[in-house]
Amino acid sequence: MTRRLRVEEEMREMTYGELAAMCTNLQKACTKQMRSEEAQLFGVLASYYEQGRENSEERTYQDLLKAINEDLESGYREANAQASAYKDRGSLRALVWGEKVSKLLKSLLMRYDKQKNTLLENTNVYVCEICGFVYVGEQPPSLCPICKVPSFKIQAVQKEAV
Amino acid sequence: MHAARNIALCTKDCVCLFVCPTGATDTENGQIDFSKCISGCRLCVDACPSHAIYLVPSTYPKPQKKEAEVQDALFKLAESKVSQETIAKDLASGSDDPVFRQLCKTVAMSNHIMAEDCYREAGYILPQSDAVRSLLTNLLEKEKEKVAFPVEAVRKLLEKL
Repeated sequence: MTRRLRVEEEMREMTYGELAAMCTNLQKACTKQMRSEEAQLFGVLASYYEQGRENSEERTYQDLLKAINEDLESGYREANAQASAYKDRGSLRALVWGEKVSKLLKSLLMRYDKQKNTLLENTNVYVCEICGFVYVGEQPPSLCPICKVPSFKIQAVQKEAV
Repeated sequence: MHAARNIALCTKDCVCLFVCPTGATDTENGQIDFSKCISGCRLCVDACPSHAIYLVPSTYPKPQKKEAEVQDALFKLAESKVSQETIAKDLASGSDDPVFRQLCKTVAMSNHIMAEDCYREAGYILPQSDAVRSLLTNLLEKEKEKVAFPVEAVRKLLEKL
């Protein structure tokens, strides 16, 4: 395999939705460094991209399942192969978390498909704000089972009427 | 290098107030006043019984170069996560069922966080890096004509980072 280093970052083609996620990532990074002004500025940029984000083209619940299956069947395998070949520990870490979260999301989506609203009716739903782990139940676990962050980083998602 | 307080760990022992030579630890908002903090002093860090104070570096080492193939694979995964986030958001806004909306909102949040993590490991972990500066410069160049684009915010970021 030829080893290629990206010498200078050329501008990648990114959608507004992707740029929104990039900017909230940088916003969080600034918060961690106690750079609150920079965090706020990245927040402004993130909302610009969030507001301008494209709609999906008539896509359905089944399309969601299809996309997550593609990640699990090929996306993670390919990324893992590259990250292992280059012994990139940081990337391998992100891929381990992401693959576990994706498997859980897939099973949640499939369960909802069968049980519909009874799945979530008399319980709470939580998301770990560090790794994206989703938990359905009364109380979130005291540590996130995937990234091991304490539960104060695991947020409840509210039911909202229109 | 200045001290910062992790509020989640602070047990209000207040030893930091006692040892701080400048009063930087004594604030209304619970955080340390960085403008009064003496760089590298660390008296409060060592004195804190609940290990709630730490030093924030003012400069970081250069991030490691990311291999192009790894970066491409992570960007591709992030693209998929963002597209799932978009589908979930559209499904939520197209429904008036609070339970289904809650499910879609959850799926959207989870995918957004996974996309962020992909970018973090694709070389965008440190805001004060060449990769981020180059990204911001490119965005400014491409979008500065658009009315809603926050030109000032991006210029300030380029100045401060």
